[in-house]
Amino acid sequence: MQTNVITKIVGYIIIIFIIISLNFFLPRMMPAGPLSGLTSSTPPVLEQYITYMVDLMHGDLGWSSSKNAPVWDVLIRSMKWTLLLVGSSTAIYISLGILLGAVSAWKKGKKTDVGLLVLFIVLAAFPPFFLGMLFIIYFGWRLDLFPRFGAQTLYIDYSTAFGTILDILHHLFLPALTLTLTSIGVIYLLTRNSMLSVLDQEYIQTARAKGLGEWYIIRRHALKNAMLPIITLVALIAGLAITGTIFVETVFAYPGVGLLVSDAIAAHDYPLLQGAFLFFAFAILAVNFTADRVYELLDPRVKED
Amino acid sequence: MKQYKNNKLGLVGLGLLIFFLLIAVFAPYIAPYDPHQRFDSTEHPNSEHLLGTNHVGQDILSELIYGTRVSLFITLFASIAAVGIGIFIGLVVGYFKRFDFYLMRLTDLFLTIPKLPVIIIIAAFMLPSVWNLVFVFAIFEWAITARIIRAEVLTLRHRNYVEATRLFGAKDSHILAWHIFPYVVPLVFVQLVLVSRYIILAESGLSFIGLGDPTAKSWGMMLHDAFAYPTIFISDLWMWWMLPAGLCIVLTILAFTFIGYALEEIVNPSLKKSPWI
Amino acid sequence: MKKIMALLMMALLLCCAFSGMVVANEEGEMVAVAEEGEKVVKISGDDWGYPTPFAHYPRGPGYIRMSFMFDTLTWKDEDRVIPWLADSWSASYDAKIWTFYLHRGVKWSDGEPFTADDVKFTFDYVKEHPQQLNYDEQNVDHVEIMDPYTVSIHLKESRPAFIEDVTGSIPIIPEHIWKDVDEPGKYRDDDAVIGTGPLKLVEYVPEQGYYEYEANTECFKGHPIIDLFISREVSNDAIALKAGDIDVASFWGKEIVAKEEFENDPDFEIITGPSWWVRKLYFNCEKYPTNIKEFRHALAYGIDREGFVKNVMHDGAIVANTGIIHPDSKWYKDDLPGYEYNNVTANKMLDELNFTDTDGNGVRNYPGGEDIEFVLFANTIMNAKDEAEYIHENLEKIGIKTEVRMMSSKEIDPILNTGEFNIAISGHGAIVQPRKLYTFYSYKNDEYNELYEKQLKTTKEDVRKECVGDMQTIIADDLPVYALYHPLMWEVYNPDKLDTWFYTKDGIAVGIPIAQNKLIFLFDPWRYDANEDGIIDESEVDDATQDYDDGKITSEQLDMVSNLYYP
Repeated sequence: MQTNVITKIVGYIIIIFIIISLNFFLPRMMPAGPLSGLTSSTPPVLEQYITYMVDLMHGDLGWSSSKNAPVWDVLIRSMKWTLLLVGSSTAIYISLGILLGAVSAWKKGKKTDVGLLVLFIVLAAFPPFFLGMLFIIYFGWRLDLFPRFGAQTLYIDYSTAFGTILDILHHLFLPALTLTLTSIGVIYLLTRNSMLSVLDQEYIQTARAKGLGEWYIIRRHALKNAMLPIITLVALIAGLAITGTIFVETVFAYPGVGLLVSDAIAAHDYPLLQGAFLFFAFAILAVNFTADRVYELLDPRVKED
Repeated sequence: MKQYKNNKLGLVGLGLLIFFLLIAVFAPYIAPYDPHQRFDSTEHPNSEHLLGTNHVGQDILSELIYGTRVSLFITLFASIAAVGIGIFIGLVVGYFKRFDFYLMRLTDLFLTIPKLPVIIIIAAFMLPSVWNLVFVFAIFEWAITARIIRAEVLTLRHRNYVEATRLFGAKDSHILAWHIFPYVVPLVFVQLVLVSRYIILAESGLSFIGLGDPTAKSWGMMLHDAFAYPTIFISDLWMWWMLPAGLCIVLTILAFTFIGYALEEIVNPSLKKSPWI
Repeated sequence: MKKIMALLMMALLLCCAFSGMVVANEEGEMVAVAEEGEKVVKISGDDWGYPTPFAHYPRGPGYIRMSFMFDTLTWKDEDRVIPWLADSWSASYDAKIWTFYLHRGVKWSDGEPFTADDVKFTFDYVKEHPQQLNYDEQNVDHVEIMDPYTVSIHLKESRPAFIEDVTGSIPIIPEHIWKDVDEPGKYRDDDAVIGTGPLKLVEYVPEQGYYEYEANTECFKGHPIIDLFISREVSNDAIALKAGDIDVASFWGKEIVAKEEFENDPDFEIITGPSWWVRKLYFNCEKYPTNIKEFRHALAYGIDREGFVKNVMHDGAIVANTGIIHPDSKWYKDDLPGYEYNNVTANKMLDELNFTDTDGNGVRNYPGGEDIEFVLFANTIMNAKDEAEYIHENLEKIGIKTEVRMMSSKEIDPILNTGEFNIAISGHGAIVQPRKLYTFYSYKNDEYNELYEKQLKTTKEDVRKECVGDMQTIIADDLPVYALYHPLMWEVYNPDKLDTWFYTKDGIAVGIPIAQNKLIFLFDPWRYDANEDGIIDESEVDDATQDYDDGKITSEQLDMVSNLYYP
C-alpha cells in the first residue's frame, strides 16, 4: 500500500508541475500569444521560469489587464460563488442521482425506470449553456419566476440574514438546476447499473424472498455493495461539473471563476485566463485525489496491495 | 452485425448519425444558399429563408447545414486521430513488455490531467482554426483508449494461437496486425463513439465561449453568435436561430449515445456496463 | 462506509453553507440599502474599477462612475461648458495664464472645506501621477494661489482650448486625503472616494460589477433627486431592461435592433445621440505595398462603406468623415473626398500599379509573383468580428486576400506602434476636438504635425478652424487611415424611474458619449422652462407645483422654481 500511495502522490506532483509549466510555456510558444511581439532584450527563458515559479509560490499570478487588478485578487473574490454553485449542485446531483438510480434499478423495466432513464439520457445530451439559455427564456423571462442574471440583489435590505440567504438561493436556483440536470445522468446510470448487478446476487434474492421491506433491502444490502464503483467515478463526474460551471456562469452572468474564463477570452486577458485555468485544474486534481483516498479507505482489496 | 440490427435504440442512433453525415457530405447540394452570402439581416422565417437570417444576413438554414459539416468534421477527425493514437500505444504497450512501464505512466498522466481546462487554455493560445481544434482534442483524448486496448492485448497475447504463431517465427508486426488487432476492433468502435460523443460536446462548448473558428461556423459557434445578439431573449429570434442549432447538437450526442449503448451490449453483454451516457 | 459517505455529504453541505455565510457576512457589513419609498435608479455595466481618478479603468464608463463623486473646475451640459467648482474664469491674452474663481462653501463629503489649495494640489499631483483619462497635464507649469478661492494656472505653452480640453476633465481631489498617497492607483481606502459630487459611493463589489451610490445631500449643487443609484452587471441588457432589473440601457451601433424592440413599448422612452466615435481602417504607410498612396486609394474604392453601414451596422451608424472629425463637431470640414464604392475603379488602379493576378488563382500578385496577402488585425472592441469579415469579403472581390485576426486593444496597440502590419481595424472615441490622437502610429507627415502644433497654440478661432480643416484634408487625401463609420447611440429608459437623461455637448469630459452626465441627478429648475425663454412663468410654476404634489420634487426645490418666476 505504501509504495502505491507514494507512486500516486509522485504522479500528482508531476502533473501539478506539468500544469504549471504549461502555464508558463504556452504564452511563449503560441503564435496568438500576448508575448509574440517581445524582443530579444528579455532575460533568458530559464531565468524567467525561475522568477515565475517564485512568484507563483507567493501567490503572484500577474496582473489582469481587463479587471485592472492582480489576478489573485480577482480569483479570490469570484471563487466563493463558484464553490457555492458547484458545491450545491454536486451535493444535489450525487444524492439525487444515487437515490433515483437505486429506485430505477429496483423498478427495472417498469414505467418509473423507463421514464427516468429516457429523461436523464436526453438531459445528458444537452450542452449546459444551451439548457441554461432555454431556462432563462422560459423560467426567467416568460414565467418570470427566477432572476435571470447575477448572484444576489445587493440593493434591497432584507434586514435579516435569512432574507439575504433566500435571495442568494433564488439567484442560485437556475444555474444550479442547469448544472445538476446536465451532470446527474452519469451518476444515475452508474448507480442503476451497479445496483442491477447487485440485485441479481443471491443474498438479495433471499432477502426479497424473506419479505423484508424494499427500502431496508436497498439501504442495508444493495446500495452498500453498489457504492464502491460509484465512488471511483465520482471524481470524474465532479470534474465534469466543475468545468460545466464555465458555461453555466457565462450564460447566467453568475460572478464566479467560470465567468472570468469567458470574460478573459473575450478580452484576450491572458494572465486572468491562466489564473482561472490554474484554479480549475487544481480543483479537479483535488477532487480526484480525495476520491482516490476515499476509495482506498473503502476498498479492502486496495489495502492489501 | 445481426445483434446490432436487433437493437432498436442502436438503429435509431445509427439512423440519426447517417442522416447528419449525409447532410454534411451533401451540404452544397442541400443548402439553399452559400452560408457566406448576405441578405437582409434577422429576417423572420419566410418562403425564401425557412429559418430566417442571422445578424449579418446569412441564411440560418444554410448555416445550420454547413455547420453540420464543421461540427462532424472536427468530431470525427479528432476522434479518429485520438483513437488511432490510443490503439497504437495500447497495442505497443500491451505487446512489447519493455515499453510498458514508461508508456503506462504517460497514459496515467494523460488520464489524470484535467482535460477540459487544459484544452481550453491551449485553444485560447492558438489561432482559432478547425485544424487546431482537431489537434488539441486528438492530443488529450487518446489515453483511455490506450489503456483499454492494452488490457485487451495483454489477455490476447497469451492465448494459444498467438503463442503458436510466434513459435513459428512470425514477425511481431505480423502477429499484431493479423492475430491481435482484429480482436480489438469491436472495442475500437465503442471507443470511437465514446470519444466522439465527448468531443462534440466539448467542441460546442469551446465554440460557445469564443474559441471556435469564425470562418468555419459550427453549431456551437452559431449559438455563440445568437447568445451575443442583443434581443435574442426578448424577441422570437431564439426559436429559429438558437433552438435548431442547439437541438442539432443534442440529437448528434443522442445518436452517439444510442450507438454506444448498442455496441456495448454486443461487446460487453454482462450487466456491468460503463456508466457513460 | 455509510459514515464516510455521510461525512462526504456533510463536507459538501458545509462547503456550501460556508460560502453562503461568507457571502451573507459580507452583506451584513453593508449600509444604506433601499427602503420603502426611496427613489432607486439602476443601470447596467461591468466592473470598471474602483471609482477614483487613478484606479478606474481608462475608458469612458470607468470615468463616468468616478465622476459622480469627483468634480472638475468646469463641466458641460447639453449645450455648453458650464461653471462647476469654478464660478467663473479668465484667461491672459496669450492663453497661457488661466485664473479661476472658485465656488464658495463647497464641502468634501467628509465635511472638510474645498479651497484653492485642493486645486493647486491636484494639478501638482497629476503631473507626477497621471490620472486615467486625461492628457496635457504636463503642459501646466505651476499653479498660483491668489486667495483661498482664486487660483491661477500657468501653462508652458498657450492653450486656447484649455477649458474644453483640460479643466473639464481633471477631477479635483482633496489634498488632506491624497497628500500622503504615493501609489494612487493602488489606494483603495474608503477615504479614496471622498469628493464633492452629487453622489457618494456606498459599496463596490467588483466580481458582480456592482456599484452602489447614495445621494450626497450636502452637495453644493443642491439635493440630488434620487436616493440610490446602482450599476450592476447583467448578461443581456435588453431582457434586463424589459424585466425591470435595470431602468436604463445604452445601445449603440449595430445594437440598433435592441432599440427598435423598445420603440413600440409605451413603457420606455428613447433618446438618440452621436457617439463621437469612429471605426477606422489603418494602413501602414511605411511598409510595402500599403506605403503606395494609390494602393491605399484603390483599397478605399474597393470598400463599400454604404453597404457596410446598412448590412453590418443595420443603419445604426453613419458613413464616416474621411477626415475623421465627427460631422456634429464645429471643427468638421465637409466636402472631403468620400471614395465612393467602385469596384471597377479599384481594379483599374490596382492593374495600373501592376498588381495583377498573374497565376489566375483569383488573388492579385506582386510583380515578383507572390500573392498579395495580408493579416487583417481587428480590435475586439464592439465585437468587430463581423466588421472584419465584411472588409475581408470586400477586399476579396478586388483580389486582395486577407486573414482576419482578432486582438484586444492591449495587443493591437503594440502592433500598430511597431509597424508589424499592413492593414488593421480599430476605433476610438472623442473625435470632437482635433487631437494628436488621430495621428497614426506609423504615419509621419511634417505638414500635418506643423498644422497640429499651430492650431494648438493659436488664439484666433478662424485660424484654428482653417488649420483643423487642412489637417482633415491631408488625412482624407493621403489616407493613412480610412474612416469607416460613426455609430449612433441610444439611451432607452423607463421614464417612471428617471427621465432626466441627456447627451452632453461634445461628450462628457474628454468626449465620453454616454448619457450618464451627473447633472441628471441634480435638480435643474430650468427644466421647467418649457418655452425656453429663460423665464419661468405661471403655468410652468404650476407644473412644478404638480410635481411637488406628486412627490417628484421637494419643497426646497419648488422654492427654487418659484424664485425664478419673474426673476
